[in-house]
Amino acid sequence: MDELPDPNPLAILEALLFVSEAPVTLERFAEVLEGCSKGEITELLADWQERCRQEDRGVLPIEIAGGYRLVTKPELAPWVLRFRGTKAAKLSKAALETLAIIAYKQPMTKPEIEAIRGVMTDGVLKTLVERDLIRILGRKPEVGRPILYGTSRVFLEYFGFKDLSELPTLKEIEALAPNVAEKEASQGEVEVDETSNAT
Amino acid sequence: MSYRVQLEMFEGPLDLLLYLIQVNEIDIYDIPIAKITEEYLGCLARMQELDLEVAGEFLVIAATLIHIKSKLLLPAEESEGAEAPEEDPRKELVERLLEYRRFKEASMTLEHLESHQQLHFNRPGDSGSPVADGPLEVSLPELLRAFSAVMERATKAAVLEITPETINVGERMVAVLDRLATESPLPFIALFDGARTRSLLIATFLGLLELLRRGLVRARQSDPNGEITVYRTMEAAEGNDGRAA
Repeated sequence: MDELPDPNPLAILEALLFVSEAPVTLERFAEVLEGCSKGEITELLADWQERCRQEDRGVLPIEIAGGYRLVTKPELAPWVLRFRGTKAAKLSKAALETLAIIAYKQPMTKPEIEAIRGVMTDGVLKTLVERDLIRILGRKPEVGRPILYGTSRVFLEYFGFKDLSELPTLKEIEALAPNVAEKEASQGEVEVDETSNAT
Repeated sequence: MSYRVQLEMFEGPLDLLLYLIQVNEIDIYDIPIAKITEEYLGCLARMQELDLEVAGEFLVIAATLIHIKSKLLLPAEESEGAEAPEEDPRKELVERLLEYRRFKEASMTLEHLESHQQLHFNRPGDSGSPVADGPLEVSLPELLRAFSAVMERATKAAVLEITPETINVGERMVAVLDRLATESPLPFIALFDGARTRSLLIATFLGLLELLRRGLVRARQSDPNGEITVYRTMEAAEGNDGRAA
């Protein structure tokens, strides 16, 4: 190391991202690249990402689940799928609903989730735990000590979030939903009880 | 009604109700209960074969609807003196529907993000040369799955337990560490070689969990459902370095 000039830090970042299976945090980069601050690394990565986006490249670094990872560009998906010969398995509607409830209201217990969905949720919760999308956070100190569920790092990776603060707020979602938005948008924040005099 | 409703389409009774409200262009804050109850019950009647658990959940809401309907039919009570204005009997149901709808919409956003994210691919796990150092890369469910496979094998191999031996998790920890000191990495299953009784298997597994927790050994799995490999970490002597995934 003393004899040879150090390689370009960007080359090192690229190598680290290439060999890592999970997203790499800035802290970890800074540890390995002695002498580079987290700020410098962020800048290098942002620059590199921008160049990858523009140039004829197949992969680019993205920020996800609290770190960075190297992924293929979305427009190349058809070729990657053809190459792998597989199709991505999508989550069921029940799984997505359950995940949404947990993501926004965590920690949540099974009875609490079922109260919102109006249906039993045992099978779905099991699948989500098996796929590591949710994890058990502990037990709620109440009768029956029900298990508390929360989302995992895999959840962030799966949906492409940097962290939980990136979840769109429920208000934003309401604004996006086409079929419902118009009606309530006009009513603004009016709560349900306002309508009681319409009876 | 011109539309056909299939119950499997719906995630539950609330989903079906929301659908009926939407199709009939009903204001959710002012639901005509008689009409919606009729439609809802019509839907239930039209579906013949469905599993009982789902049916039960659909019936609960049916009962709620009928209950609300009957309340609305009764003249407002004035017996206790008219202090507070009567609460709308629909209020609770409407609140549930709104709450459910919020998360249903959130789930559609997640679905959208899912398909977007599925266009990105990353490198699959490296099945090549294992790296001895690194964060814990096996989740607890994976370990448990692997262990239940070991237990299954154990039940098949008929063993006669005669001498009650005292099994100590601490001893097993030492044994696992000793073994890893000479041959590391080691396949997960190999840790259980020679452990013949269920209690010994369990003690070994508990010992392994404790070692993992203390950061003295690490477990790694190259691909989902793949073989789990266990390593002794460099700092095994000093103990925890405090960096666990």
